[in-house]
Amino acid sequence: MIGLGTSFFTFSCTNLDEELYDQVTADNFFKTEQELIAGLGAAYSSFGGLGNHSNLWSTNELVSDELVITTKGGDWFDGGVLQQLHLHTFTPDNGFFNNTWGMLYGGVNTANRLIFQFEELKAQGNPAADAFIAELRGIRALWYYWIMDGFGRGPLTTDFTDTEVKAASTRLELYNFIESELNAIIDVLPTAKDATTYGRMTKWTALAVRAKLYLNAGVYTGTTQYPKAAADAKAIIDGGKFNLEATYKDNFAVNNSGSNENIFVYPYDKVFNGGFNWPMMTLHYASQTVYNFTDQPWNGYSVVEEFYNSYADPVKNPGPQGPVWLGLSVDANNDKVPDTQGTLDDRLSNFVVGPQYKPNGEKAIDPAFEGPSAAQPDPDGTNLNFTPKLNELGPNSWRQGGARIGKYAYEVGGTANMSNDFVVFRYADILLIRAEALYKINPADAEALTLVNQIRTRAKVTPFVSLTDDNLLAERGREMFAEMTRRQDLIRFGKFGQPWGFKPAKDAASVTKYSVFPIPKQQMDANSKLTQNPGY
Amino acid sequence: MTKLYLFVRRYLTVLLVFGTLVSFAQQSVSGKVTAADDGSGIPGVNILEKGTSNGTVSDADGNYRINVGANATLVFSFVGYTSQEVSVGSQSSVNVSLQSDVTALSEVVVVGYGTQEKKEITSAVTSVKSESFNKGTVNDPIQLLQGKVAGLNITRAGGDPNGNFNVRLRGVGTIGANAEPLVVIDGVIGGSLSTIDPNDILSIDVLKDGSAAAIYGSRGGSGVILVTTKSGKKGTTQVSYNGSYAIENVNNSIEVMTAEEYRQVPGHIDLGASTDWLDVITRQGNAMVHNLALSGGSQSTTYRASVNVRQQNGVGLKSGFDQINARLNLTQKALNDKATFTINMSSTTKDAELGNAASFNYGILANPTMPIYDNTTTSPTAGAAYGGYAERDIFDFFNPLSLVEQNVRDKKETRQLASIRGEYDFSDLVNGLRFSAFYSAQRETDFYGSYNAKTAKFGGRNGLGTASRSTDQRINELFETTINYDKNLGAADLALLAGYSYQDFFNDGFGMSGGNFVTDAFTYNNMGTALDFNNGLGSVYSYANSNKLVAFFGRANVNISGNYFISASARYEGSSRFGENNKWGLFPAASAGVTLSNLIDIPAVNSLKLRASYGITGNQPGQSYISLQKFTRTGSFFYNGVFGPSYGPQSNANPDLKWETKAEIDFGFDFAMLNNKLTGTFDYYNRKTTDMILPVNVPQPPNLVGQTQVNIGELKNSGFELALNYAAITKTDFSWTVGGNIGTYNTKVVSLQNDTYNFAETGVLYRASMGAPGQSAVQLVRVKEGDPLGQLWGAQYDGVNANGTYKFIDINGDGTIDPTSDDDRTVIGNGLPSATFGFNNSFTYKHFDMNIFFNGAIGHQLLNSYRGFYENNEVTTINNWNIVKTKHYDPTVTKANVNSIHVEKADFIRLNNMSIGYNVPFATGTAVRSLRFFVAGQNLFTLTNYTGVDPEVRYTDTDPDPDDGLSPGIERRSTYFTTRTFTFGVNLGF
Repeated sequence: MIGLGTSFFTFSCTNLDEELYDQVTADNFFKTEQELIAGLGAAYSSFGGLGNHSNLWSTNELVSDELVITTKGGDWFDGGVLQQLHLHTFTPDNGFFNNTWGMLYGGVNTANRLIFQFEELKAQGNPAADAFIAELRGIRALWYYWIMDGFGRGPLTTDFTDTEVKAASTRLELYNFIESELNAIIDVLPTAKDATTYGRMTKWTALAVRAKLYLNAGVYTGTTQYPKAAADAKAIIDGGKFNLEATYKDNFAVNNSGSNENIFVYPYDKVFNGGFNWPMMTLHYASQTVYNFTDQPWNGYSVVEEFYNSYADPVKNPGPQGPVWLGLSVDANNDKVPDTQGTLDDRLSNFVVGPQYKPNGEKAIDPAFEGPSAAQPDPDGTNLNFTPKLNELGPNSWRQGGARIGKYAYEVGGTANMSNDFVVFRYADILLIRAEALYKINPADAEALTLVNQIRTRAKVTPFVSLTDDNLLAERGREMFAEMTRRQDLIRFGKFGQPWGFKPAKDAASVTKYSVFPIPKQQMDANSKLTQNPGY
Repeated sequence: MTKLYLFVRRYLTVLLVFGTLVSFAQQSVSGKVTAADDGSGIPGVNILEKGTSNGTVSDADGNYRINVGANATLVFSFVGYTSQEVSVGSQSSVNVSLQSDVTALSEVVVVGYGTQEKKEITSAVTSVKSESFNKGTVNDPIQLLQGKVAGLNITRAGGDPNGNFNVRLRGVGTIGANAEPLVVIDGVIGGSLSTIDPNDILSIDVLKDGSAAAIYGSRGGSGVILVTTKSGKKGTTQVSYNGSYAIENVNNSIEVMTAEEYRQVPGHIDLGASTDWLDVITRQGNAMVHNLALSGGSQSTTYRASVNVRQQNGVGLKSGFDQINARLNLTQKALNDKATFTINMSSTTKDAELGNAASFNYGILANPTMPIYDNTTTSPTAGAAYGGYAERDIFDFFNPLSLVEQNVRDKKETRQLASIRGEYDFSDLVNGLRFSAFYSAQRETDFYGSYNAKTAKFGGRNGLGTASRSTDQRINELFETTINYDKNLGAADLALLAGYSYQDFFNDGFGMSGGNFVTDAFTYNNMGTALDFNNGLGSVYSYANSNKLVAFFGRANVNISGNYFISASARYEGSSRFGENNKWGLFPAASAGVTLSNLIDIPAVNSLKLRASYGITGNQPGQSYISLQKFTRTGSFFYNGVFGPSYGPQSNANPDLKWETKAEIDFGFDFAMLNNKLTGTFDYYNRKTTDMILPVNVPQPPNLVGQTQVNIGELKNSGFELALNYAAITKTDFSWTVGGNIGTYNTKVVSLQNDTYNFAETGVLYRASMGAPGQSAVQLVRVKEGDPLGQLWGAQYDGVNANGTYKFIDINGDGTIDPTSDDDRTVIGNGLPSATFGFNNSFTYKHFDMNIFFNGAIGHQLLNSYRGFYENNEVTTINNWNIVKTKHYDPTVTKANVNSIHVEKADFIRLNNMSIGYNVPFATGTAVRSLRFFVAGQNLFTLTNYTGVDPEVRYTDTDPDPDDGLSPGIERRSTYFTTRTFTFGVNLGF
């Protein structure tokens, strides 16, 4: 027995390496081609945050004049962070910013890591590595473009092996980096528009990023670059790969992968790639019965009333007139036809508005509607009727207040996850970029007007006779609703301090401060080299 | 039957006598056993001829007669008295006077890797014997100790029959993983208490200080609980049966409005019915326990086998379990008694219905005018689509009864624990040398099934139905060898121990969930019919992980002439969970004691021992692989027109990750005085925990993932513990013993950072979200360097504004009050108790016995989240929910906004259990050895000002982590109601 004991003392197990069963590390992964492709996929996984609540998209939209989350009694107060975004009183501890930062820098880190890994493969003589590296640099440039656009500043890391914590680079430094990266890869990236490039970084996507970089260069660097913006947009147009779809909403259909207009999308799928949660985020609890969703929506995001009205306004948006839901979306005849008139812009498909009906034709009802004794009674009682009117920001905002986002088609019988592909860059935006750049160079530029009117004609509204800052910005708004361009557009047009919704007009100092997001408190705390943006 | 038994017994005795006659000369000895206190005869004393199985029992007057061999020694033993051995020699009459055993200092205490007499113990160890365990229906062994050990707090809010207890020794010792004490069952480290039936436990010993626990090294940091199961004894075969039946009723929930009261509230929504939802979702529970144990043994073999059956139906609908447990403890001597083999085996199966905790939540907040059932399609509570259960189309609300009846949650557990120990006594070669080898294997399997009916609003997915199945398995294998060497060095006795330990853990499991069924008929039993799997919407997973521990350990105990005691130990232990640069840690300890009463004479003091100890213990990471950089599937990648998997980083590497360290000093004394009637133990402890293993936010870049697991922070914890026992009256016919214990706690967060990282960024951390609706961004807890742990945090109530919103104090005095800003928030309570205590009275009167046991906790507050959400007249509350109406209800409040008014003192004292028993007297020679009837009540009443469900301490919270130790003191809305139990039972021995 002592022998047995001693034997255990001497040669038995003092090896304490961890045995892995359901995990992979760099030691046992990224070896085969299939594993490498899976690794490359991670560079795109960070885009998955686009379709979630309280991330990059939400943050950009909720500080703009497009969307607002009102507080409905006990719902959607969340410590005031949502109202802060709308009122432009947001603070560095607002979780939206940390989520956004995490998504963007998560993407940067993954790109850096993969570039490092593919550089190693390249050193080993792998011929495919160059193309992957260019693709990853393009993705990284896009992340940095969003970081620079949103936060203004941020650490610039490009080397995975450099583990030193860095201070933030200036907006100009980031701008120069993005520009030089894009310049270096645009001609290396693939130009095909087919299954091999769908949802991937192509030359056209990189050009779109650079066009937007130049369009906003005045904001970013103090020096405008309109000719360069116009040129990049023209390069895409002249590439001939894209054109306007006949019908606006086809670009946002459940199966929108056939769109000839979408330049770069992030493909979502209810089975393979969930996370595109808009019907949950925007629709009413009772909308579950309207769409037969398997999940109950959360009743969060509404459209700011003035923004909605910018479609129906016959003066600002001339076009054919007809019944349009406005204000309290009254239907006195109970014939499903609005009692109010407005411009019948095809892009009203961007909204879910008015009385809601179940598939069997019955009215959807909200049994928990604000009753007659409520502080702010629901004007039409128990019916679920999305009124463009928002009565207040909170705490007693109507449960049914505000038009809701209807941009992407909602699948009847769908789940919390949509299968529509999230459109990041679209050809119509490119046309408007070129139009705006040309207009800025020469306000009477004929091509600029033609380009804008291509968009208007497709929307079945009357062409403009001339361009102004106001009608150009409004047109961008109607066309690009909920496509994450509005905050940038308002800033570029100098309209970020205007009043909208429940936000009062803001002075210049406030506009300067809130035109960039605060560096998130968690990041400030974790990285002592970071400094806060001015004013926060 | 009795006659048959008597016949068999006599016949066997004759055989025995005959058998021994053949080989030995016989002599008859008789005499009387009396109590030393008062000279009265003691009935039922076991009298055994030493080294044989020959024995008898004294009669009702204490008289006995036995035939013994030559040179016999008789052993007299009886519970409550010190055993005595008498060499018979040629005497034919031996009268014995037994000393009552109130001198607790002479008891044997189980310590790590051995036992010691209590008088030799130099660290803080408390031993609780089975006769002191809590009475009544006790299903979880840890509940036997609730309130019994100073400094050991065992809590479970509410009376969920499947709920787990939280155990904290000496308060909160860590804010990392493994805050609960390590459990060792008959030597099996990390043994699962669910492998044992409470009826089979002989004693539970609690190693409280660092010195006592240090022999368990990297897992001793939160203390150690040693469980010893009952084993057979040489001598007569014994059969014992314990049976009981209990009824259980709801004791406390939270007060909400009745339908009539609710209808008085302006703006109420009258749905036409009057429903007492709390009554709808509860019932009278019951419990049945049967325990049959057979034990006995010969010279070379002893055994005890038992079977335990338990059935419980909790007060919550569909909550309860059926359990059967069997155990065999067998000891066999061999090789001329030099070798001893011990085999322990236990097997448990449990089928549980888990009920649905959410039904308590929704039961409280459901509109009281809502009907239970509504089979229409158009009314506001139309339930035709929901199986006829009334439902409301509002966010986050479900019919409470539907939740239990249409949402099935089942669990099947199996537990197997087997161990074998071989010991060999080498005294022939080297006097005092013993060797032992030990192997154990424990397998725990949990098998879950859940089903949400097609018509269930919760999880029914609008008519599709969802089901899930999953199983988890945990295997723990231990191999240990130890060498003991005892040596007498004249005035000093030396006891040495050296050992090696190898332990391997393996966990794996898999599960699936999916829905879209054609019929409800299958529930979760036919997962393949869920169309979700065909449509790619089902989900499947599996996992496996392992870890291992290797250790070398040793201990030296020195006893100098029974007056001075010194002990030193060390464990050198490595864990696979540590980072590659820090695989091995050393955990040393030293302690010393002096029996002062042996050296100087102190009036009225019978014994007094002073002791001091210092020990370093550790804590392991809570999970495997957290020091590695891992990659995992991060989603899907649309590649060449099809979705494929994408893989990305999951964790940052930390090759320096090591154990958490706890250094603890303990000073104490044990005393007995007033003729040993008053005994007690006092301890002062002071401990410092450093290098806690916590996830810290790291900058991204350069890190791939935003959090890394690191060693960080410091926690300090001190307090005293006092346990007293006073045998007030010790007459033969009447006795009264009163005892109590108290432990105090003072836990301070010293630091939340190390040289590189901050756990709390600027030294302050806010966490524990109040939750939906509307208060998700409200953090209820602050953790701050330099402050006590457990701070509840929020705005300070200052009345109610005319518009019905709360008025708050302007904490920072800047003239504006922003209750969402931490500048206008303050500490509004502390969730951790300053002391916990137990208080016991036991009486015997003739054949009756009675026991009354209180326990409680003081100094802690609870945030009553029911009130924070629903005790107001906010429009949403009135429209959607019922209104909580405690004594604090203020109808002028029209805005839910949690603040200091919702934090309440939760001091309580609880009549935890009370029992009355009657021992049926039997004459000597009766086949029945003992027969006792008893009735016991548990949780009979609670004195507290707290208005929530249960004032019990909450050590953990569910946000942000499921078991978050940084956020104590929050009563969440799905607390199972507390219950009161009455048990009727019988104990029969023959």
